[in-house]
Amino acid sequence: MKKLAVFCALALGVLTAGTQAESVLIKGGKVHTLADKGTLESADVLIVDGKVEQVAPTLNVSADRVIDASGKVVTPGVIAPISELGLVEISAASGTNDHAVTGESIGSAFNPLPAYNPKSTLIPFNRAGGVTSAVVFPAISTWDTAAVEAQRVFAGRGFAIKLNGEFDSVEAKDVAQKAYLGETGAQLAGGSRANAFAKVESALSQAREYRDNRAAIRKGDWRELDYSLADLEALQPVINGTEPLLITVNRASDILVVIELAQAFNVKLVVLGAAEGWMVANQLARAQVPVVIDAIDNLPISFSSLGARFDNAALLTKAGVKVAISGPGYASTHNVYLSRQSAGNAVAHGLPYEEALKSISSNVADIFNLDGGTLEKGATADVVVWSGDPLEVTSYPEQVLIDGEPQSLVTRSTRLRDRHLKPGKGSGFGYRH
Amino acid sequence: MQLHSRVFGRGIAALLCASLLMSACGEKKAGGEQRSLDFSRLDAFPSTYSVTQSQPVLIQDATLLTGTGEQLENTDLLLEGGKIVRIGQDLKAPEGALVVDGTGKWVTPGIIDVHSHLGDYPAPSIESSQDGNEMTSPNTAQVWAEHSVWTQDPQFPLALAGGVTTLQILPGSANLFGGRSVTLKNVPGRSVQDMKFPGAPYGLKMACGENPKRVYGGKGTSPSTRMGNVAGYRSAWIDASNYKKKWEDYVEKGGDEPERDLGLETLAGVLNGDILVHNHCYRGEEMAVMMDVADEFGFQISTFHHAVEAYKVADLLAENNVCAAMWADWWGFKHEAFDMTEANIAIVDQAKACAMIHSDSGVSVQHLNEEVAKAMTAGQRAGFDIQPKDAVTWMTLNPAKALGIEAQTGSLEKGKMADVVVWSGNPFSVYTHVDQVFIDGALMYDRFDKKRQPRSDFELGILDAEGERL
Repeated sequence: MKKLAVFCALALGVLTAGTQAESVLIKGGKVHTLADKGTLESADVLIVDGKVEQVAPTLNVSADRVIDASGKVVTPGVIAPISELGLVEISAASGTNDHAVTGESIGSAFNPLPAYNPKSTLIPFNRAGGVTSAVVFPAISTWDTAAVEAQRVFAGRGFAIKLNGEFDSVEAKDVAQKAYLGETGAQLAGGSRANAFAKVESALSQAREYRDNRAAIRKGDWRELDYSLADLEALQPVINGTEPLLITVNRASDILVVIELAQAFNVKLVVLGAAEGWMVANQLARAQVPVVIDAIDNLPISFSSLGARFDNAALLTKAGVKVAISGPGYASTHNVYLSRQSAGNAVAHGLPYEEALKSISSNVADIFNLDGGTLEKGATADVVVWSGDPLEVTSYPEQVLIDGEPQSLVTRSTRLRDRHLKPGKGSGFGYRH
Repeated sequence: MQLHSRVFGRGIAALLCASLLMSACGEKKAGGEQRSLDFSRLDAFPSTYSVTQSQPVLIQDATLLTGTGEQLENTDLLLEGGKIVRIGQDLKAPEGALVVDGTGKWVTPGIIDVHSHLGDYPAPSIESSQDGNEMTSPNTAQVWAEHSVWTQDPQFPLALAGGVTTLQILPGSANLFGGRSVTLKNVPGRSVQDMKFPGAPYGLKMACGENPKRVYGGKGTSPSTRMGNVAGYRSAWIDASNYKKKWEDYVEKGGDEPERDLGLETLAGVLNGDILVHNHCYRGEEMAVMMDVADEFGFQISTFHHAVEAYKVADLLAENNVCAAMWADWWGFKHEAFDMTEANIAIVDQAKACAMIHSDSGVSVQHLNEEVAKAMTAGQRAGFDIQPKDAVTWMTLNPAKALGIEAQTGSLEKGKMADVVVWSGNPFSVYTHVDQVFIDGALMYDRFDKKRQPRSDFELGILDAEGERL
């Protein structure tokens, strides 16, 4: 939206000084550019108008704001590849949940964007953890009887946000479509993976039919299709290859099946889950299918993830698969920032360090075609200055910039901490704000 | 999720009474003297755990975090006969000893997870294996978690590779009284008895808050409110007090032997001081209420589990000698988990209450060192001076206290069980690996030797008929 405002201002020729952010110089940090310049042991980063202007060992320039980053580590902001930020406040409080819907639709038309709440407490919390943008997806609860009865395997469309908490913080709409195959798909489609597969296949096939016969279908001059026009419309960018299709599968054989399906329909596939991805890493690499994985989850928690292991990220990356690491599933969307802990664990199990940084930033941007993820000239200035190694559990963000603007790192968590730092008797705490 | 409770065994109660101002302690001790009343029934399903390896072990030149507040550099640790026998410099290796070069390595006591459901909610998670919560009545004090344990849960060996040597397996939190917990050594066992920590007191799981009232209120039965929860606890404790008295009268005066009641027996074991209360309780208000319930009926709560708001009442916890088991940063899944602060454990610790980490998860049980590292860092950011030598107690000695086994394990001290983890470096780093795990002096896990990495029956031939799952 901000971009839209700037665009309008430019188009109207009325660009005002007010739209220009201050310039920022981050001095002397260890800089991971995640771009051509690689890692610079000590470098300065100049930010002008919300973009990275320059990264070099020493910049003799002035700036409106100078951040001393000596002894610190500077990286692009963390990007969460999958979240429900702004759609969920308290998981077990239904009034605060907008991520899933039940009903007749197969779900591909579902777009949770109008429900997005940039004032959610999860946003400052994850921002303080170093997350500067996130992809927000709808989801389906498999324990929701209505959803299961509706046999929906498409969850709907995702969008991308910046974590500045502003009303105009939606960065991109219709970032990807999400669907469930494999074991979860089977649960949603009456008990068999094959039925879930058939549903996706027929939806894609009817989306083609709709594309090729749109006028006749809209006039009602066509056979009855199994999906609503809204759902078929929503799948158009998927079959046109402009909007990725994110499919949840974990078992190796399920992954191969979705690769084949994507190839048949020329769909840009992203595999979510891929617990057994390492077993078919070469096939994923050959098909250029990226994956979003929960790298810290090594539990054989279902018969579809018997091969779950800590070095999944390392083995996939080694085979040439583009890997994005999500926040740990057990911590839910409230703690998507913990993707950095997962990435650190992946390094402990063989993932090269810079690849791990990419897996929580630039790879995510690449997969979903978003800004950010690198520090190079022209890049969006979503930047984190860390107290130390960003993948280390004892490090934390000291400065977070989004579009070049320094962000507050105060959260409900820090305010509750400060109020109750020395708990004691009496009503005094109620007056500490 | 879970419950914890802390009940003091007689010896422990006496010890604590000596050092703490605890009015309840004296009363408790009186109850604990009822020797002839074995409500705890430790011998009903006796531990058949045994130490199988007697080779002495000498770990040389390592950095030791003792669990008693010390960090010792370039120090040797000698394990013999299943015990820690010496800590010092330049110790001599006994004949036939396994010598571990500890240069650059760190050594801690074995990790103790006070809140686990391994075996009761095993992996894979399928309909037929959900044995962790008898959700048929708000009071199922009669069930024992050990009777659900699937010993071949592959999560046990994964937790071992994370340095976990002892776990408390708790029933779930749907009920006001969920049943008995069991404390296990993290060793392969054909039976749960093969894993039972010898002599560890039983625990009773209780649960506050949203879960019981949701589960039973949702069925149109009591409790449907928090006040309904509390009425349910008190009614049950009245019954338990009567039951206990009936048995005491019988022992004292004779007559007809009273009929045994499994549920009341467990509650009476708590009143006796033999069974420890582990109380799932998120909110500060509810913890304060539960401590008053305990006072009303003369028992001691060992530990509040999932104590997301423990920081708000940390001084009360210290005053009442109640521990709190917490996560580093989980929050938001329920309203009662909304007021999370990452400094929770640190604030409780600084208020001189007994603070600890817990997992309640098959994933984070493998990384409790990282969870402690995050909590320690949050404490430092809050302005407290908390170092690894202090924070290590949150995963070792303090959970041992909560389980009533601190005389046997939980720290690197002469005479204690040789439950020891050798780390590749500082355990409070994401890059550090568990290199070796010793339980009662036996090498139960070695990162460099596949033959010393246990696998459960389930894992054999499961993904590859001939090969390994991992």
